Amino acid sequence: MSDRIFDRETMLDLSVNFIPLGILLFFVLLFLVLAPFPGDPLIVLVQMSLVIIPGIALLMLTYYSGNAIEGSRDDEQAEPGYSEADAEVARSAGEE
Amino acid sequence: MAALVGAVFLAALGFVARVNGWWGRLPFVDRTRVATDGGHAHEPGSGLAHKPSGITRWLTTVDHKDIGILYGMYGVIAFLWGGVSVMIMRFELFTAAETYISPEMYNALLTSHGITMLFLFGTPIIAAFSNYFVPLLIDADDMAFPRINAIAFWLLPPAALLIWAGFFTIPLDIAISPAQTSWTMYTPLSVEQSNPGVDLMLLGLHLTGVSATMGAINFIATIFTERGDDVTWANLDIFSWTILTQSGLILFAFPLLGSALIMLLLDRNFATTFFAVEGGGPILWQHLFWFFGHPEVYILVLPMMGLVSWILPKFAGRKLFGFKFVVYSTLAIGVLSFGVWAHHMFGSGMDPRIRASFMATSLAIAIPSAVKTFNWITTLWNGKVRLTAPMLFCIGFVANFVIGGITGVFLASVPVNLILHETYYVVGHFHYIVMGMIAFAGFGAIYYWFPIVTGRMYNRKLAKGHFWLSMIGVNITFFAMLLAGYFGMPRRYATYSDFNPELAPLTEITFLHQVMTAGAVIIAVGTILWLLNVVWSWKKGGKVTDPDPWNTKEYGLHGREFAWFEQQLAATDGGETESESAVATDGGADGESVATDGGSEQA
Ligand code: HEM
Ligand SMILES: [Cu+2]
Repeated sequence: MSDRIFDRETMLDLSVNFIPLGILLFFVLLFLVLAPFPGDPLIVLVQMSLVIIPGIALLMLTYYSGNAIEGSRDDEQAEPGYSEADAEVARSAGEE
Repeated sequence: MAALVGAVFLAALGFVARVNGWWGRLPFVDRTRVATDGGHAHEPGSGLAHKPSGITRWLTTVDHKDIGILYGMYGVIAFLWGGVSVMIMRFELFTAAETYISPEMYNALLTSHGITMLFLFGTPIIAAFSNYFVPLLIDADDMAFPRINAIAFWLLPPAALLIWAGFFTIPLDIAISPAQTSWTMYTPLSVEQSNPGVDLMLLGLHLTGVSATMGAINFIATIFTERGDDVTWANLDIFSWTILTQSGLILFAFPLLGSALIMLLLDRNFATTFFAVEGGGPILWQHLFWFFGHPEVYILVLPMMGLVSWILPKFAGRKLFGFKFVVYSTLAIGVLSFGVWAHHMFGSGMDPRIRASFMATSLAIAIPSAVKTFNWITTLWNGKVRLTAPMLFCIGFVANFVIGGITGVFLASVPVNLILHETYYVVGHFHYIVMGMIAFAGFGAIYYWFPIVTGRMYNRKLAKGHFWLSMIGVNITFFAMLLAGYFGMPRRYATYSDFNPELAPLTEITFLHQVMTAGAVIIAVGTILWLLNVVWSWKKGGKVTDPDPWNTKEYGLHGREFAWFEQQLAATDGGETESESAVATDGGADGESVATDGGSEQA
């Protein structure tokens, strides 16, 4: 996920999900360095998958939702969930 | 019993087949964008015009708003059932020894309380709000599949009857008693209890799962395909985002529960060995159950976080701070919640390396939860806070989440968990969340949307009394539980008189239990105030003629649902909306603006 795909502002929005990703990465590295138990490849595989698979899933969902949200961004449109009506407009319009 | 369960399976199959046929034969309704399953398509704004009256209307309705109200009624009835059962338990626990009810009855009430609150109150009360308001918020004419929407609801009443069946059969004396499995239904106990009441409960639970899954598919389809032209992913409101995420979680979690329940039924009735020691083993149940169970807690809390994210800014006079943070962190929670399930099983003898992995993911999931808390607090910062009843419940929600969430993070740490697991600390942790957040957000949303749903205003004095009693009661009851957990009081016990005093000092624990009971009484009084208020105001409350009862236009925070409400008012009462002065308040307190709900503005 490079800066070219998303602009700076979007990266800032997405950063909220990089923190849990960072924590997951930290634990993967920790488990690689600190392995006080006798090695058992199967268990280590399970151990790593349990952290890495959710991480990949999170990365993918963040990427696709980021794309969907940024792809449909339009500065003209109403705020999320709000009608066009605001303080100045007495008669609000729920329809377009 | 085996034959009976088999017959129920066959009947269910037959029913599904019939429903399919019936569904296919329906005439397709004109407007394809609505009514994709032939459901009744209604013109926006002409809502009530061509509906049958009386009870027939409620039995045949496919209007998302009516179904929302039905879900709401259902959720409230379940809340009362769950509340009464827990009050009986709390009175029993006032003294250490067995006093009013037998331990068997205690276990039955405990099971019923947990299952009722999670499956019959929690999920349906969320469906009440989402059915009524998601279509309005995304400018859809109705749900994508209005008939499926109705079927999903109508599966629930039989589900409740099955789940509660064991209690109804007590007076009949036919050897069917209420299940005593607790909501987690751990094997081998749940296989060994030969009581047919357990089978009935499992079948009922299965129905709730089918219902929730149908609802979830409907919401996913609705939010993806029925959005108005000017509603995009970029400006989809936060409540619909949380409902979309919740529906995704339901789609993956509930079918798994359904399969596990069927395996359990087979083990009980047809001598299969899925969870027997010589077969899959009892731990298999725990893995399957919690792979559903942890997402389930987020199924319940995410939409409530969405409600608070939607309502709280209205009374803070500012837009939600960091809207996109809240959206992305909601999605993050959705994904990660499938990777943490075994933090409920740290004590079950798993390999320590695998435990460590679950600790890692559980700590990671705490971040998006905390992010939301900071967003709410930042929204309040320097805002024009108006302490209306819905706002009080939102603020109480945030406060309770601080305690509920942090205690959760402690529990996620393996060494701490091994000490506190199966104590009242855990019970305190999740009640801060399920009562202090889920129920609170529900109450807040009911007050906030009361004008839209009923056309009337509630009594604000009672509403504030309700809030303060609930807030004080929750913090007394559940904080005492955290302390009792530190003192070593194990959970799920009807008596505590013969524990080893070295491990659990009787005086302190008895005192804490009495505090908990007192707190629960305070909550109960508050809840009665709420019930009276809602019932009375629905019939007799002042009519709301102002389309902007919360004065949100002033802040540019007028939501689509209230814009819709304005159209409704204009359509039904002609020009009456013009007269701003005729604003109905809750008790005719003239001159006081309804919007502030008596709350003082603070700069
Ligand atoms: C901040 C994130 C959270 C973390 C890290 C967390 C962690 C935990 C842990 C480790 C346990 C197991 C305790 C034990 O049995 O020893 C637990 C129990 C529980 N949590 Fe949480 N939790 C969090 C948020 C939530 C939320 C949001 C909900 C509800 C919506 C919730 C509901 C529950 C329930 C119902 C149980 C008890 C289940 C049972 O054994 O009956 N938790 N939590
Ligand atoms: Cu959990």
